[in-house]
Amino acid sequence: MVRLDLTGMASREINRKLKELIKTEDEIEVVHSHSVHNFATALIGNGKITVDGSTGFYTGGFLEGPSLVVKGNTGWYTGDNMMDGEIIVEMNTGSNVAPSMLGGTIVVKGNSGSRAGWGMKGGTLIVCGNVGRWTGKMTLGGRIIILGEVGEGIGESMYNGIIHVLDEAVEEKLGGNTRIIPIDDNEKAEVEKLFQKYGIDQGVDAFKSIVPNVLGRHEYVLFKPTHKKGRQG
Amino acid sequence: MCGVAGIISKESADLGNDLINMLKELLHRGKDSTGVALYEEREDIQVRVAVSDVRYKEDLEEIIRKHASISGVRTYQGEGIFSFYEASLGMAPERIAQLNWDIDSHPELCVHSLGRRIKVYKDQGSAEDLQFNHAIPSVKATHGIGHVRLATESIENINFAHPFVSYLYPELAIVHNGQFTNYFNMRRKLENLGIRFKTNNDSEMAAHFLAYQMKEKGKDLEEALYEGLETFDGVFTLLVSTENQIGALRDKLGIKPMLYFEQDGHTVLFGSEQICLTPIVSDVYASEMDPGGVMTWSV
Repeated sequence: MVRLDLTGMASREINRKLKELIKTEDEIEVVHSHSVHNFATALIGNGKITVDGSTGFYTGGFLEGPSLVVKGNTGWYTGDNMMDGEIIVEMNTGSNVAPSMLGGTIVVKGNSGSRAGWGMKGGTLIVCGNVGRWTGKMTLGGRIIILGEVGEGIGESMYNGIIHVLDEAVEEKLGGNTRIIPIDDNEKAEVEKLFQKYGIDQGVDAFKSIVPNVLGRHEYVLFKPTHKKGRQG
Repeated sequence: MCGVAGIISKESADLGNDLINMLKELLHRGKDSTGVALYEEREDIQVRVAVSDVRYKEDLEEIIRKHASISGVRTYQGEGIFSFYEASLGMAPERIAQLNWDIDSHPELCVHSLGRRIKVYKDQGSAEDLQFNHAIPSVKATHGIGHVRLATESIENINFAHPFVSYLYPELAIVHNGQFTNYFNMRRKLENLGIRFKTNNDSEMAAHFLAYQMKEKGKDLEEALYEGLETFDGVFTLLVSTENQIGALRDKLGIKPMLYFEQDGHTVLFGSEQICLTPIVSDVYASEMDPGGVMTWSV
């Protein structure tokens, strides 16, 4: 394990250093993060990074492979365009968490802002607290799980993918082109597995699912990203 | 980009300092200029004027003497070429608007604030520069709003910096994050009503518009903000303060951010980003204002 002190370091310097370290180290502990922006963006590898503090905007953007644990808060656009790996935020995130995410898992233990999972294409986003308005807006794929209250317009104009919610009053807050269906057994098993993995103490029976309400008037040809694994190092 | 911050506190002993600390955290949202409007607990009428050159100080005092007696003068150099003139005035409150008009008629002078409780400090540079150059005294204040500017709509000039005030309602100040796309139309409409503009900045229009709604149309702050929501075009979040209220307005698309946090009925904080609340309350979850939202708090 290696310890990295970010005091006085700029974003680019930090990311350059992380890219070097991830080649050889399994575990990196980061201290004095002082909400630095663009932390661990475009990082490819297999190590685990633990941040003892908060990070700023665009934390873990384009992340591919590593497991990133932030013990504090993160800013907006956490996990922007994330490819693979995991981001675990122990506290809250700003708005637009997991936008255009392609793969991997993001777990927010606290609350998140508006437009969580905006334009997601794959992967999983779990928010244990509340989310703001327009969750899963224009989602193209992937899975969003919200344990707390949701804001207005959830799933607005979603094309594909699924949102699991517990909020009792979700019917009043549905966005356009969506409908509510009961959660099926396969999904229950998958969600339960995720909860076990990330230590979330929550039953899965009370979940409802939100899916796009495709009426058949339009023939959607869904864009399926073909993703090549980046070369390591 | 611009950043806004605001605070209402019954407990803070040095509210000006608290607000400056909040703005320091917003430095990345703009460092062309920084400004604060503070509402101090005091009895006298005070004026703050930016003077483009110290030799115009005599012109300024000549204008003021027509309406008021002057005491407690403080003049000093700011971060750039501008000098600042601050004084306590002995005058009838109903003549404030006229004095404001007269000073602003001079091309080298610009009123930053003139009123019974309001005081506006604004200058180029960061919040740290503002605190250092202006030696903002730690006076008991009840509330205040602040702004860091990234100039997008008009020149970098301290008189074009926020907060903006209006001579129509001397105790009103606004800070604005965003752009008004119907500025010229609105300016023409307001000028047809006889309102005079001092700068070419779009945010000044909002100050005059809201002051006009409140003073001439007799609306309260909330009604004036709703009127603004329907009238203004573009992207905007506004924080508006009067001698006893702070109001917030966010555009219908919710493009510019606005967060607020209330603590046990004695502190209310506003800010563009969560991080600017951390100097006052560490680690809280602030609520996001609704798009098209109007909110007001009484001090």
